[in-house]
Amino acid sequence: MINRRSVMGLFAGAASLVAAPFASRAAQQRSAPPAGGMFQTRDDLPPPPKNPANVPGTLAPRGRNGRMERLPEIDLESRMDFLMSVRTFANQTLSQAAGKRADDILAGKGIAADTELPLQEAVALLQDDPVVSARTRTWMSVQQLSWDNIKTECENNADTYLSEMEAVDNRGPGTLELNPDLEMPDYTRHEIHIQPGGYVGNDFAGYMYDYGTNGFYTGRNDQDALHMTAAFGLPIPADGKIRRILDIGTGVGQLAMALKERFPDAEVWGIDVGGPMVRYGHLRAVERGLDVNFAQRLAEDTRFPDNHFDLVTSYIMFHEVSPQGTKDIVNEAYRITRPGGIFYPIDFNLKNPWPRTAYGQYRRWWDHRWNNEVWTIKYRTNGMQDIIRAAGFDLNEEGPVALPRFGVLNATKPA
Amino acid sequence: MSEKVEKGRSKAAPFIPADTDSAIFLGNPHLDNLMSVVIALGAEIWADRQRMKVVERLLETEGKATAAMIEAYVPTSAEKEAWEAERMEMVERVYSVLSRDTSNARPFGEERQF
Repeated sequence: MINRRSVMGLFAGAASLVAAPFASRAAQQRSAPPAGGMFQTRDDLPPPPKNPANVPGTLAPRGRNGRMERLPEIDLESRMDFLMSVRTFANQTLSQAAGKRADDILAGKGIAADTELPLQEAVALLQDDPVVSARTRTWMSVQQLSWDNIKTECENNADTYLSEMEAVDNRGPGTLELNPDLEMPDYTRHEIHIQPGGYVGNDFAGYMYDYGTNGFYTGRNDQDALHMTAAFGLPIPADGKIRRILDIGTGVGQLAMALKERFPDAEVWGIDVGGPMVRYGHLRAVERGLDVNFAQRLAEDTRFPDNHFDLVTSYIMFHEVSPQGTKDIVNEAYRITRPGGIFYPIDFNLKNPWPRTAYGQYRRWWDHRWNNEVWTIKYRTNGMQDIIRAAGFDLNEEGPVALPRFGVLNATKPA
Repeated sequence: MSEKVEKGRSKAAPFIPADTDSAIFLGNPHLDNLMSVVIALGAEIWADRQRMKVVERLLETEGKATAAMIEAYVPTSAEKEAWEAERMEMVERVYSVLSRDTSNARPFGEERQF
C-alpha cells in the first residue's frame, strides 16, 4: 500500500498534465450540447470549473482525469477497467446471444418472438437456459466484484478517506449539513443495485457510488457527461428567472454540480437521505470550487419554505422510491416550487415503460429481484404522470427532452 | 455501518441488506461462485498486464521504472484507446465460450448416430 499523503505532492505534476487540455479551454463560454444531443466526448464538455489539485487536506495521489479523480493505485484502476470491459461484453456479446436463445426458446414453443408475456411466465421460460443465465451471472458477478473492489479499498484505508471528508466538512465553497438522527423511511434503506450498505449504511457510499456507477456506465460518464447533458437540457421557467435550484435525491451531487456549472449565479442545493453520499458530494464540490449546498434531508420533508425554488429536479431517483414515497415527494416538490417554477424529475421513459418481450421481461425481473432495484417495476406502473397532475402541476410530456432516451416529465406550477 | 469505522466518526445508518449472495443462476451455487472467481482472476491478470505495459513504456522513454513512476504514469489518449481495445479483445477471447449455444448438448454416454 502506498502512502497517499506522501505521494500527493509527487504526483501533482501528473495531475496538472491531466488537467492541461481542460485548462487550455478555460476561456471558452459554457455552452449546451448540440440541440437535442448529448455531451459525447470530453472535448464537447465545458471545462471543469478549475484545476482542483491543491485543496488542502484532500487527496488525489494519482491526479485527476478531468472531473474524476483517478483511483489511488494502478492495480485497482486496472481491475476496475477490466470489470468495465467484461460488463460491456455482457451487455453486448452475451446479451445478443441470450436474446437469440430467448427467441429460439419461444419459437420452440410456437410463440412469436415479439409476444408480450406476463412477467412470471417469461421468467419461467428463460431462467434455466445456460446462455441466458450465463449472461445474467456474468453481469451480476461484475456488479458484485466492482462494488467489492472499491469497498475494500475504502475500508482498508478507512482513516485516510474519512480524514479527507472530515477535512472539508466545514469548509466552503458551499455548505454541508448532516443529520445523524434523521428518521429514514424503510424504502430508503435498501442496498439498491446491491451497493454495499446502500446509500445510508456505509461511510464510503459516495466513493463506491461514484466509481461503481462509472463502471455501470462503462466509462461513458467519467466526466459526468450524462449529468452535464441533463443540466444543460433542463427547461427554465417562462419568465427566465433562475435564482434557486434544488436537486432532490442528489446522491453524490453530480447533477447539482452540473447545474451550478450551467447557472453559476444561482443558489444550488442538493439533498439526499444518505449522509455519506452528500458528504462525499460536498468533498467533490469543494475540490472543484463549486458553491453547492448539500444537506442530508428527506425529499418528502425538505424543510425549505413554500414557493422557494425556481427549478426542482432529480436524476433517476424516483424509480428507487416506494409508491407512497413518490406521492409524498411530488406533493412536497409542489409546495416548494414557486408559481411559474418547474419540477422536472428525470427518470426512465414512462411512455414506453419496458419491452414486454420474454427476454425484456426476464431482464426486468433480474434487475428488480437480484440487482435489488426494489421499486423500479412499481415506478413504471405507478401512474407517475397522474401523481404529478394530482399534486397541482401542469404536466407536459412532450418536451423538452432534458436527457436523450429518458422520459419527459416537464411540470410547471401554475402561476 | 462498516466495522472498519470508529462509531464516533461514522455518519452511516442501519440498512436493509440485499440477499443477492444467495442467488443461484447456474443451477449450482459452486458454479455461481466459480464464475465470480474466473472474472476476478481475469481482472488480476489484466492488472499485471497493464503494469507490464507501463513498465515497458517507462523503460523505453525514461530508462527506468520505479514503483512511484508506475503509479504516476498518465497514458496518452492513444495508449488508453489501444489498451481498451486490447482489453476487450482479451475479454472476448477468454469469455466468448459463455455465449455458446448449448441447446443441442448431448449426454456424455450417448453414442452418436450417423
